[in-house]
Amino acid sequence: MESSSERTAVRPVSTVPPQSPPPPGPDDDGEPAPPARDEPRRWSRVSVAALTATAVVLVCALVTHLGMIFLSVAPPNALSVEHGDAVDAYVQPEFGQDWKLFAPNPMQRNEAVGARVNTLAADGRPHASEWINLTDRDIETIRGNPAPSHADQNMLRRAWDAYIATHSVTDDRPKGVRGTMTGDYLKRVVLQRIGRTLNGERIVSLQVGGRFTMVDPPAWSSEQPSDTTDYRLLPWWKVTDQDYRSL
Amino acid sequence: MTTPTATATAAPPATPTATRPAERLARLLAAITSVRAPYQAAVFRIGLSGVALAFLLREWPNRHVLYGVRSPLSFDLAQVLIREERTFTVLAWGNGGLWFETVYAATIAAALAVLLGWRTRGTSVLLMAGVLSVINRNTLVGDGGDNVVRIMVIYLVFTRCAQVWSLDARRARRRPKLPGLDPVGPFLWVAALAVLVPLSAHPTRGWALAFWTLWAVQGLWYAANRWFPRHEARAVLDAAASMLHNCAMLVIAAQVCLIYATAGWYKIQGSRWQEGSALYYALHLDYFAPWPALSGFLAGSTLTVLALSYLTVMVQVAFPFTLANRKVKNVLLFAMIAEHLGIAVVLGIPFLSLAMVVCDAVFLPTAFLIALGARCGRLTARLRPPALAGRAAPRADRVSS
Repeated sequence: MESSSERTAVRPVSTVPPQSPPPPGPDDDGEPAPPARDEPRRWSRVSVAALTATAVVLVCALVTHLGMIFLSVAPPNALSVEHGDAVDAYVQPEFGQDWKLFAPNPMQRNEAVGARVNTLAADGRPHASEWINLTDRDIETIRGNPAPSHADQNMLRRAWDAYIATHSVTDDRPKGVRGTMTGDYLKRVVLQRIGRTLNGERIVSLQVGGRFTMVDPPAWSSEQPSDTTDYRLLPWWKVTDQDYRSL
Repeated sequence: MTTPTATATAAPPATPTATRPAERLARLLAAITSVRAPYQAAVFRIGLSGVALAFLLREWPNRHVLYGVRSPLSFDLAQVLIREERTFTVLAWGNGGLWFETVYAATIAAALAVLLGWRTRGTSVLLMAGVLSVINRNTLVGDGGDNVVRIMVIYLVFTRCAQVWSLDARRARRRPKLPGLDPVGPFLWVAALAVLVPLSAHPTRGWALAFWTLWAVQGLWYAANRWFPRHEARAVLDAAASMLHNCAMLVIAAQVCLIYATAGWYKIQGSRWQEGSALYYALHLDYFAPWPALSGFLAGSTLTVLALSYLTVMVQVAFPFTLANRKVKNVLLFAMIAEHLGIAVVLGIPFLSLAMVVCDAVFLPTAFLIALGARCGRLTARLRPPALAGRAAPRADRVSS
């Protein structure tokens, strides 16, 4: 049996024409009763009308759906600017999509998110900690892992991005409800990683910061490597027990 | 019907008698009411549920931190996010650990069921609800892979994806004459009420209506099979379902084209893609370098970086247009699948890459898929214990002969 199946494996395609219809029977547990394939089925007039109407409705839905999706991913244009709200209302949230992966340009800098904390010793003396590089921990976990977890690859990175996108650069004022939410979220993401105590002392306040390092241009490029590293420091946040709820 | 999905079953050949309008209408109806691309739909079903299953199992140890009770996006914060984004997730209805575990486990079970093609009509809906619930509980940890899967599971519900390579198909094959004697389907249909009725008590932004509609359609189908299996209305229902499937397959194909078109055309505008150094930068991102030595080796070769950067853009931009030519399309398809598999390893984003491979697979030629299916059939037959293999072997052979 082994050898014969090996032989048929060489050219199984030729024996089955691609036009062969699917095996009879619907995918449900219904009765197959397929119309004869070589001779088209004779439908009654009512059925023809019903099927034609169904086809028309489906084609309209198809065109509408694809048109909306197209407008949502196309650059702002005459149609989408005028009817942006309608397009959004249709597409979001179920079909919302963003395929500008690595486009128009890939990311050219590495962002490292870190944190430092103020702790309170048992005798009441305050201590300030050094910066803790949280992104380094993520990268450590990702190294050598064929399937990195979202918890290591996305959580901190995207929490930081979400915060930056929803807060003003100058005074870290949250933009709307979403801003407040992303602020609380980033704080909890960081606190989950650091824990309640540092060196046995209770954490009372926290500062999160980002460090941006440009990737050096390739050797052949005439561009000068950037010799500066950018930082963004967020304000100090008070840390209470409430922040650790169910972390 | 000019997409590759039409390659699966060709329209009945036009004969000289097809000139009469009535004849032509009949042939047109026959063409659009037969299930197109059943093998592509099946490979899409298996691939998509496989990716979802692998993802859910991979995140099993981290599920509480990502989506559950230990998430930094606490239940209250999640409520804000869900309201803002207007998303659907059943995980917004309760903060209990048991509720979360139930939903997560049910989603895994649904993914497995869809993978095997077991009661696909119902389990695909369950998979959709589960995947949306998990992903939408915390969209702030997602990436492009989640985005693809989230959209495609919705489309999957509208396809007849279990016509081949499924337990449903096997059941239909084994007792084609006794459709009324299948008690499991109707039983599950009634059991679904236990989920649907409580669901309706929650605000779902129209999702409850969608679920009830799907439930009603399934009920109509069972009723038709039970009470008027020979009536033409039953055949009309069947034909309408096939038309819906054909439309869904078209939408899936068009959606994949939109993904590539967007990704490609926006890249053309980027200076790094123009100078061919984009890949160099992508390979230097810490978060996407699980194998730094490999990334460094690739990035160190200027010619490789240039060639792969240019090829990526060319292939992505060109792909939708190559659909007009089968041979060119297949060559590009091979290149894209290979590139995605490479990206999966090098950039450490296997779920995103595999989701894209699944999307690519929708365009694979039917002959290739049939050959692949036959090979898999033989492989499983060989792996089975002899007692079972004896029964399975003829089936595998039948596919290829």
